[in-house]
Amino acid sequence: MFFKFFSLRWKSFIRGEDIGVNIMTKIFKWFWLVYFAFMAPLLGFITTFVIKEQGIEDPFLFLNKNLIYVLIYLVVIRYFIQKVPVISIRPLLLSPIPKSKIVRYALNKTIFSFYNVVVILYLITLNGTLLKEGLETYNLIGWNLMLLSLIYITNYLNFLLNNKDKLLYSFGAVLASIKALEYYSIFDFTHYTEPLFYAFYTDPFLSAAPLCFLIYLYLHVFKFFRKGLYIDSGLRPKIETSDVENFEWADRFGDMAVFIKNDLRLIKRSKRARGTVLGGAFFLLYGFIFYYQDDLWPEWMQFFGYMFASGGFLFMFGSFVPSWDSQYYKLMMCQNIPYIDYIKSKWLLVVLVTIISTILGCIIYSFIGLNAICAVLAGGLYNIGANGYLTLWAGAYTKTPIDLNSAQNPFGDTKAINMKTLLISIPQMVLPIVVFSICNSYFDYLTGCAAVASIGILGVLLKDVVFELIVKAYKTEKYSTLKAYSKN
Amino acid sequence: MIEINNITKKYSKEVVLDVLKLDIPDGQTFGLVGNNGAGKTTLFSCLLDLIKPTTGKINNNGIDVRQSEEWKKFTTAFLDESFLIGYLLPEEYFYFIGELRGLRKKEIDNFLLEFEEFFNGEIIGKKKYLRDLSKGNQKKAGIVAALIGEPQVVILDEPFANLDPSTQIRLKKIIKDLSSKGTTVLVSSHDLQDVTEVCKRIVLLEKGKVINDINTSKKTLSDLESYFKG
Repeated sequence: MFFKFFSLRWKSFIRGEDIGVNIMTKIFKWFWLVYFAFMAPLLGFITTFVIKEQGIEDPFLFLNKNLIYVLIYLVVIRYFIQKVPVISIRPLLLSPIPKSKIVRYALNKTIFSFYNVVVILYLITLNGTLLKEGLETYNLIGWNLMLLSLIYITNYLNFLLNNKDKLLYSFGAVLASIKALEYYSIFDFTHYTEPLFYAFYTDPFLSAAPLCFLIYLYLHVFKFFRKGLYIDSGLRPKIETSDVENFEWADRFGDMAVFIKNDLRLIKRSKRARGTVLGGAFFLLYGFIFYYQDDLWPEWMQFFGYMFASGGFLFMFGSFVPSWDSQYYKLMMCQNIPYIDYIKSKWLLVVLVTIISTILGCIIYSFIGLNAICAVLAGGLYNIGANGYLTLWAGAYTKTPIDLNSAQNPFGDTKAINMKTLLISIPQMVLPIVVFSICNSYFDYLTGCAAVASIGILGVLLKDVVFELIVKAYKTEKYSTLKAYSKN
Repeated sequence: MIEINNITKKYSKEVVLDVLKLDIPDGQTFGLVGNNGAGKTTLFSCLLDLIKPTTGKINNNGIDVRQSEEWKKFTTAFLDESFLIGYLLPEEYFYFIGELRGLRKKEIDNFLLEFEEFFNGEIIGKKKYLRDLSKGNQKKAGIVAALIGEPQVVILDEPFANLDPSTQIRLKKIIKDLSSKGTTVLVSSHDLQDVTEVCKRIVLLEKGKVINDINTSKKTLSDLESYFKG
């Protein structure tokens, strides 16, 4: 039986469309698995030393104090990364296996999931060092039992939380506000949780409580899934409904409006697109990375940070044009629209969002000073006048279809990298920094900004010429793009 | 008038399409039949400039489809579900297509009223995205979208497949109405009875070649059936 499953799996892997990409992702994945499997015990080993080096006398107390955050993080991270194995159950329904066995299999499988194993590996060495610190073995067992119970409670909680976005956002909000209250020393939540967790050490029998709760939760999740094992209830993919949305305010963009409205709907309704755009919004904070350790970074690195602040949407969303339309690219190619309008509408959307990001960036970084504002502005102009075209141009050669309905990690895309897209990305990043560095070292910071900005302005002026070139590239690539997308 | 001249399509050495000459006059309802792999979809895709033929030329009302995009103004098509935009409501999809064809929202609403019976209350106002509709309902939406804006040429690949019997009958009526208005309709199908009922002319493809080219008569159905019996 096992061999049969394995051979099916092997065939699907070896006969997949892009075996090369498959193998690369697999290798990459295993590399990280092995890496974490080594790093976890190592981290466990050095934890107490690192804490002590910070000048904290009792590492064990410190651990108890922060345990509550670790647990909440665990819930949040699990929600976003750990997959609940629901969908793969479908084909098993008609096989001669009792339903309760299928559910138990799905639940038990997660005991050995990577996320749990890594934590256990970490705990093993951590406990070793704690013993060396002079903690009692017997009491430590109780403490560990509590910890393991809590870890598996978060594991099974994840099953119930699946697809409950709102609940999770409120979870995140609570976490943030607790941390904020502590940071501004208004109310220290850990003041109460620290003795609570510590109690499991002084009184190991207490750990029976979380263990009992874990067992209860397991049984609850089991019942929940056993009941939902029908394709019209638990196994039914969630169907969203919506009212007609016309985005009439977008009509002012004339011929482009009809496309822009569509893209807005795409971003709103496709989990994949939404995740990507949210990821892009984080770029706004990119400048802070280099700001907080400004003695560490050269000036051009800081400029780089500010430049990227306005480019989040451009790089995250823009670089997947036209793949966003891959599922209905044939339709687009048959409609009463010249290619140039289609491309221009994408450009306009990218530019609009970049302008908004630039304004937001200016506001966010205004407290740093004139240099930062100028850098954000220059970066914004370069993103509009140069990078906007370059990303679209590279898009002509990007032929990876996107499945809009899947919620793949927006950062972990195996975007088919080919020489052409790679070459085009050089002027996107390297050119502005080189120009800035040269002007900065010969003149000053603001001249550097002005030089980069003027490239952007030049780009905007050359719009029509550039679009002709881009459309040419799209037209020659049309047929192979269509072919690649139909393999969706 | 659609003129297909010497169109071939080869993938490495395999010839999937080889049509020497095929003219489809204005207003004709044209049916394409053949087994799987006969080249029906490939021919339609070449007509819509979605596939580059290895040789040959296709003129759609005097426009070489590979040289100019002008044919898009009067030609519409529904080949498969890749002609649908999954994250749109059917209404929004019709507005999108309609606006591209230069219609106003009001005009599109009026146009959709004609299809109330065809939709059977399952498409409009259901608040469901196209991606969540059943295959049959998706097809209904796709076919109707291809009729928006009074196109002169309509290309439908397997329009009858996946439709329930009532809808099939309604679709036949819609296609007949189109032809009486002078629209050129190109239809492919596996169902011999459906095509013979609707089309004035039927072309039989096999392994990419035109085997038979007949004007539909009472005898056509039995002729075709005996051919496919082999």
